[in-house]
Amino acid sequence: MFEAMIDPTGGPAAASAGPRLAARPARLDGLVVGLVANPKKNAEPFLDAVGELLAAEHGTADVVRTRKTSITDPIPQATLDELVQRCDVVLIGVGDCGSCSAAAVADGIAFEAAGVPAAVICSDAFRVSADAMARVQGSPGYTYVTTPHPVAPLDADGVRDRARTALPELVGLLTEVPVPAAVSG
Amino acid sequence: MTIDETALSGLRSTLAADDYRMAVAEAGDTVEVTITAGPAACDDCLVPKPIMRNILHAALGVPEDAIVLVYPADVS
Repeated sequence: MFEAMIDPTGGPAAASAGPRLAARPARLDGLVVGLVANPKKNAEPFLDAVGELLAAEHGTADVVRTRKTSITDPIPQATLDELVQRCDVVLIGVGDCGSCSAAAVADGIAFEAAGVPAAVICSDAFRVSADAMARVQGSPGYTYVTTPHPVAPLDADGVRDRARTALPELVGLLTEVPVPAAVSG
Repeated sequence: MTIDETALSGLRSTLAADDYRMAVAEAGDTVEVTITAGPAACDDCLVPKPIMRNILHAALGVPEDAIVLVYPADVS
């Protein structure tokens, strides 16, 4: 049943030497940021808080928000295509469960393949599923940002604090070519 | 075939964060992995089976097609 319902992997594992990444901008000022939130609680507030910090501290021009309707499925192709047209970089998250962490990584890899730098946020309890999706997608060692688990129970101040803490790593992922994480397994 | 519990510990922790548990048993040349849901588990939070097989293959070093995977939905 589960295999039929939710298979965002796109098929059998692909062989690859490592993540395929889009070219990075040197700076974020003047750029449009896509915010790709999943339906998990606090995903949208987290991304909104990062978006506000990017505008205030890095001069980004605007945000384009989208909210996925599925925890498990990859971003719909039409939505991805629209964001690729409208956005210079994208933030994706928050992977705060096993399947949504895996889906967030799949989405990040899809944006990179489409030429848009992406930064994925997952909570640290779900590295195992996030890393597995990267392997299955042919991008072992795909780099993402982690925040302590859980995110869903946080209040508004807690979400903003997490966004503030994650900001430097997110900016780094969007503006520098990430060093792939150590690959295990 | 020997089940390496140390290699499985990371997966157990990840599953526990979503209130899932895992039982692993050898059965000849295959490994049967049964995932059970706790009361706080969300149905959609479990990774798709291809991802779980990849995780188990990496942890146990057995071929993915030698892993018999049973999800809660399979027995309900």
